[in-house]
Amino acid sequence: MSIDVAIRQSLRDDARRFELDIAFETAARRVVVFGPSGAGKSLTLRAMAGLGRPDAGHVRVDGHVLYDAAAHIDVPARDRGVAYVFQDYALFPHLTVAQNIGFALRGGWLNPRRRERDPRVVQMLALFELAGVADSHPSRISGGQRQRVALARALVAEPRLLLLDEPFAALDPALRGRMRMELLALQQRLDLQLLVITHDAADVEALQGHTVEIRDGRVVR
Amino acid sequence: MRFRPLVALLLLAGTGGAQAADLVVSAAASLTDAFQAVGKAYEAKHPGTHVVLNFAASDVLLRQIASGAPADVFASADETAMDKAVAAKAIDPATRQDFAANRLVLIVPHDSTAAINGPADLKAATVKRVAYGDPASVPVGRYTRAALEQQGLWDAVEAKGVLAQNVRQSLDYVARGEVDAGFVFATDATIMKDKVRVAATVPTPKPITYPIAVVAGSKQPKDAAAFQAFVQSAEGRGILAGFGFEAP
Amino acid sequence: MASLWVPLALTLKVALWATAINLVLGVAVAFALSRWRSHAREVVDSILTLPLVLPPTVLGYYLLVVLGRRGVLGGWLDRLGIELVFTWQGAVIASTLVAFPLVQKAARAAFEAVDPQLEGAARVLGLREAAVFFRVSLPLAARGITAGALLAFARAMGEFGATLMIAGNLPGRTQTLSVAIYAAVQAGDDHAATVMVLVVSATCVAALLLAGWLAPDHTRRSRP
Repeated sequence: MSIDVAIRQSLRDDARRFELDIAFETAARRVVVFGPSGAGKSLTLRAMAGLGRPDAGHVRVDGHVLYDAAAHIDVPARDRGVAYVFQDYALFPHLTVAQNIGFALRGGWLNPRRRERDPRVVQMLALFELAGVADSHPSRISGGQRQRVALARALVAEPRLLLLDEPFAALDPALRGRMRMELLALQQRLDLQLLVITHDAADVEALQGHTVEIRDGRVVR
Repeated sequence: MRFRPLVALLLLAGTGGAQAADLVVSAAASLTDAFQAVGKAYEAKHPGTHVVLNFAASDVLLRQIASGAPADVFASADETAMDKAVAAKAIDPATRQDFAANRLVLIVPHDSTAAINGPADLKAATVKRVAYGDPASVPVGRYTRAALEQQGLWDAVEAKGVLAQNVRQSLDYVARGEVDAGFVFATDATIMKDKVRVAATVPTPKPITYPIAVVAGSKQPKDAAAFQAFVQSAEGRGILAGFGFEAP
Repeated sequence: MASLWVPLALTLKVALWATAINLVLGVAVAFALSRWRSHAREVVDSILTLPLVLPPTVLGYYLLVVLGRRGVLGGWLDRLGIELVFTWQGAVIASTLVAFPLVQKAARAAFEAVDPQLEGAARVLGLREAAVFFRVSLPLAARGITAGALLAFARAMGEFGATLMIAGNLPGRTQTLSVAIYAAVQAGDDHAATVMVLVVSATCVAALLLAGWLAPDHTRRSRP
């Protein structure tokens, strides 16, 4: 059980030029990528999820090759078995909480129906205490509930790796501490492979994981 | 003065419309080419007068005049349109006179292989579309309907009818080959000799005559009367004859 | 009043077909354009907007030259037994063409307003591109597209110039309300013209009100 990432990517726009050159390897179940904004954390996360394509390098999770530039392997995002919780959660505004959670369970061109309840969705609603808002739209629920919906939606398909982009940044400080404890407890209970990126040293301390610190596109520690 | 060309252009555009000194002649679409020649000849004889020609289906012209369009002379392609003008008090009835005559013809595209030699052949299943002016507003359409009703062919042809807004549109439909046949005046068919072929001359119950009159609201009735007199003079009739129009 | 119902039914048939075709065609082109990263994109967009600014008679002439019996495509279609000139299908093509930019522009704006992150989220959750389109992009753009479609419907209801040139004026077959109004006015039948003018005006006002009600602003206001 391991994460092995080595990626290089150069980005250019009119104003500036950014070189990402990141490599780390760990067998830890909790990994925290820590660094200031603009260090290349999100770029790294997107490359791991398959939402961005690095110029060179590789991404391996539990021995599965997800990306390997030299071998011309680029597994599409949908087949990576990697879940992603976006910083602002990216919940589907046109779907209810239950439909959001069940999104990945239904293939094809149609969304889950409003009243449809897959047993796995019911389980997630219970686990994250969301049964009361199952039929609400994301715009009608609290910030903490939104984060739980995003987590439930990510976990329902049992990914081999859960990526979280600044999971606590959008929450108010009072809620932040509680959600950190919740995430830690959840990881331990389900034995999740977790990778969190954050700019907040408090997150590093709370999650007690293997920490990779990056700055200006390089690993510094 | 960067704007001078623009100002000049705007002023120039203003002269395009009808000016007080202009003589506006509203004439049936079938008179298009003949009246352009008549207008030029009249201008040559009356320097200082500018003849502005307005062509459309006779009923459209009548509607324009009745609604107050600044026309001076009205020349229509049938007596019905002129009767309507009299009823609407749009023209001076004392000046009304017939100045030309015409004939109704059935035309086909020049390369047509269909066996169309007369109106009766239009009943054939191979003939799908026939163009003629809208009888509600176009004289050639009224002549067509009257002629076909007399021969008992109207219902069969009407089912295949493509209504044109004026006689020249019927001519264009046939010339483009979009319809299998069409009804126009003999003078129209001559204009597109290379594109349409006259299949038959169609007898009409009433003779096809062109009345002309001075518009009731004309601000220059003397000039209008002079133009009307010129159309009916030997020179005017000579020009009209050159385009195939007959004497009334 | 039989002379009203026949052109009204025909007009609705033509406008509905034109709107339906544009919903498929306009939405497909708009989606492709909204995702296409190239400088040629704006050039293509300008060309597709032409029907909005060109005189309908110009469009009608193009259609006649292309689809007429002796036209580039028309001769070929004629041999297949497909006739478009002087048919209601020809009227549908004319209406589709003039209304196309209204759907395309509205749909493109709606697609560009969809947060790309939501589409990314759908991909990570296991969806193929077609499924991302039907389950995320399309539903989120639906209001904007519907507003565009209503405008297109109103435009198709009122289409006159190109329709008259390609479909002609065949009572009962291609005489739509706007063509019937023109014929009635020319024939001096003001009563019939007035009735039809009121029907067209009322339908277009209703479509525009509905389009305005569906505009994105309203969504935000109605969801506190």
